[in-house]
Amino acid sequence: MAMAEGERTECAEPPRDEPPADGSLKRAEELKTQANDYFKAKDYENAIKFYSQAIELHPTNAIYYGNRSLAYLRTECYGYGTSRLCPAPHSRACWTACGGGASNQPSSLLPPPPQILVQVKDILSKLSTLVETTLKETEKMTVCGDTHGQFYDLLNIFELNGLPSETNPYLFNGDFVDRGSFSVEVILTLFGFKLLYPDHFHLLRGNHETDNMNQIYGFEGEVKAKYTAQMFELFSEVFEWLPLAQCINGKVLIMHGGLFSEDGITLDDIRKIERNRQPPDSGPMCDLLWSDPQPQNGRSVSKRGVSCQFGPDVTKAFLEENDLDYIIRSHEVKNEGYEVAHGGRCVTVFSAPNYCDQMGNKASYIHLRGSDLRPQFHQFTAVPHPNVKPMAYASTLLQLGMM
Amino acid sequence: MAARLREPSFTSCSSTFSSDTDDEGVRGTCEDASLCKRFAVSIGYWHDPYIQHFVRLCKERKAPEINRGYFARVHGVSQLIKAFLRKTECHCQILNLGAGMDTTFWKLKDENLLPSKYFEVDFPMIVTRKIHNIKSKPPLSKPIAELHSEDTIQIDGHMLNSKRYAIIGADLRDLCELEEKLKKCHMNAQLPTLLITECVLIYMTPEQSANLLKWAANSFDNAMFINYEQVNMGDRFGQIMIENLRRRQCDLAGVEMCKSLDSQKERLLSCGWETASVVDMMELYSRLPRSEVMRIESLEFLDEMELLEQLMQHYCLCWATKGGRELGVCLYCY
Repeated sequence: MAMAEGERTECAEPPRDEPPADGSLKRAEELKTQANDYFKAKDYENAIKFYSQAIELHPTNAIYYGNRSLAYLRTECYGYGTSRLCPAPHSRACWTACGGGASNQPSSLLPPPPQILVQVKDILSKLSTLVETTLKETEKMTVCGDTHGQFYDLLNIFELNGLPSETNPYLFNGDFVDRGSFSVEVILTLFGFKLLYPDHFHLLRGNHETDNMNQIYGFEGEVKAKYTAQMFELFSEVFEWLPLAQCINGKVLIMHGGLFSEDGITLDDIRKIERNRQPPDSGPMCDLLWSDPQPQNGRSVSKRGVSCQFGPDVTKAFLEENDLDYIIRSHEVKNEGYEVAHGGRCVTVFSAPNYCDQMGNKASYIHLRGSDLRPQFHQFTAVPHPNVKPMAYASTLLQLGMM
Repeated sequence: MAARLREPSFTSCSSTFSSDTDDEGVRGTCEDASLCKRFAVSIGYWHDPYIQHFVRLCKERKAPEINRGYFARVHGVSQLIKAFLRKTECHCQILNLGAGMDTTFWKLKDENLLPSKYFEVDFPMIVTRKIHNIKSKPPLSKPIAELHSEDTIQIDGHMLNSKRYAIIGADLRDLCELEEKLKKCHMNAQLPTLLITECVLIYMTPEQSANLLKWAANSFDNAMFINYEQVNMGDRFGQIMIENLRRRQCDLAGVEMCKSLDSQKERLLSCGWETASVVDMMELYSRLPRSEVMRIESLEFLDEMELLEQLMQHYCLCWATKGGRELGVCLYCY
């Protein structure tokens, strides 16, 4: 995979820090310098050790924590414990997840994963269930659909469309985990960007950000294998705080699943949903995560066995009642990576190419401009990924079908 | 393990064989299938108290579409077997070729549906392991012993032969060896015989599988052949599966025969079988009794129906018959 221009395989230099004050602080600085040397030599285990010792002497120095986190992140990205060297795509993700743009110095560095989760939960819990965003005339946003643990394809999105930043905002519309073999890498990368650009990097909840699905479709198993059961509990708590919908300029509404099993739901009803829970079996919260559009008018029982399918008339009525132009949703794999239905009022975007190594579909992402909120579709295809032995991963073909 | 090439046999009824290391990949599929079946059983898809004695329960979950796929496979094959047993009133033989850790014999005994004799054949290495399991687990050995008239059961390296059950280590591509060993275990060519290959033929070349099918048609006057394996393999899904397996040193040597439902039917008819039927597993699944479908679909929530459909459209169940006696079987009659 080609590397972005300006990328270095080593991480950016740990930033400069405060001058030492007294004896123990001076000693802490010496330890930190030694740790930096180990880091440069890619000996992350010793780097961590020495940063930790520095922290013990000077526990309030954020730089030490940040540097140590970076070292952790480098070791964690290996995933399978084989070597100390990050394979290039991983190092790029780590580095980018740490906020390094092609030429920018990281403004802050990320803490270790458990702390990432705690901080993300903190940010998410302060958001409304319906996030309202304004895109100015000159601004644009990229909306991505399901990514489902397909880490290398996620990196490809950043390769094609640029890394997230204040000037390159993103929205990921749920289903970040499960099925693909690298759900942990995907979610930590997305959460990392959320911490770095909280107002320009948006995450909405999908039906796979729930305990039932994670149990069956691989994420829980993957977290338990790569971390601990407690870590999965933490992910579960964070997922509960993901907002359920986002409204752009009061005109475009985005949610993972779709519209509602009953008429008359308003944006205010969505705002009022108490979302920090596992979704119920029915009702607006369930519909936002689970429903699908259908070609015919009216509503039908969903082929999924939960929520409903809604027709063009339902979409039209909802949009009119809430003064919206159209909805963007995900949730369904589409051969071309996107689909425009209901006369342009219901757009599906799906960002996991060759879903499960099996479907052979293209993927896409959407550009929305503040000046023209009509969706611009950009398609892309799958990139190779390591042939990871499936652990709890639910990739069908990696399980070799039915032998 | 050093690769040993089998010495090419110079008799007319055999061909050169691949080395043992090539077969290792194929033997590995026995464990895959067993693990998947045991996992599905553990979730409640079907009842099988015997599989736990042959394979461990894997910690990792299998995807719901895999479990549903195995359910359809096990159900479909089982329906055909039972239809044959009923038609022949159990005065018949069953030859399960490439049986792996299959538990049908024990389940049939529980249902009082045993044929006159039940034979299993697989690679010697697999048979040795299965015999070891049988010997060391009373739930497996007792039923065999109960049906045996003498005190001792003939166990000899890669073979166990008893009155109603025999398991033979042999290479299905060496038909002389196969026939010889079956006869040693008192296989009776006069009895109506059901032969089963469940994900077996695809691992041998088209020539080798044709020879096996022809041998079966020639050896028995009244017979039925059940074949379960891949189909519609010409598409991208097929390519990906072939690639994935190749990386596991498992060559789908017979994939050419798995082009379409028609090609699967044709190969049976062109090997001496008089009637042949084939159905893809999605069709079979869609024709399962609603109560069964509701029961299994409530066991695990399937998030993407498309994945199940795509998987099932690439597997088929075929059955062929020959012989004067009408052995026509209706798969959907319950």
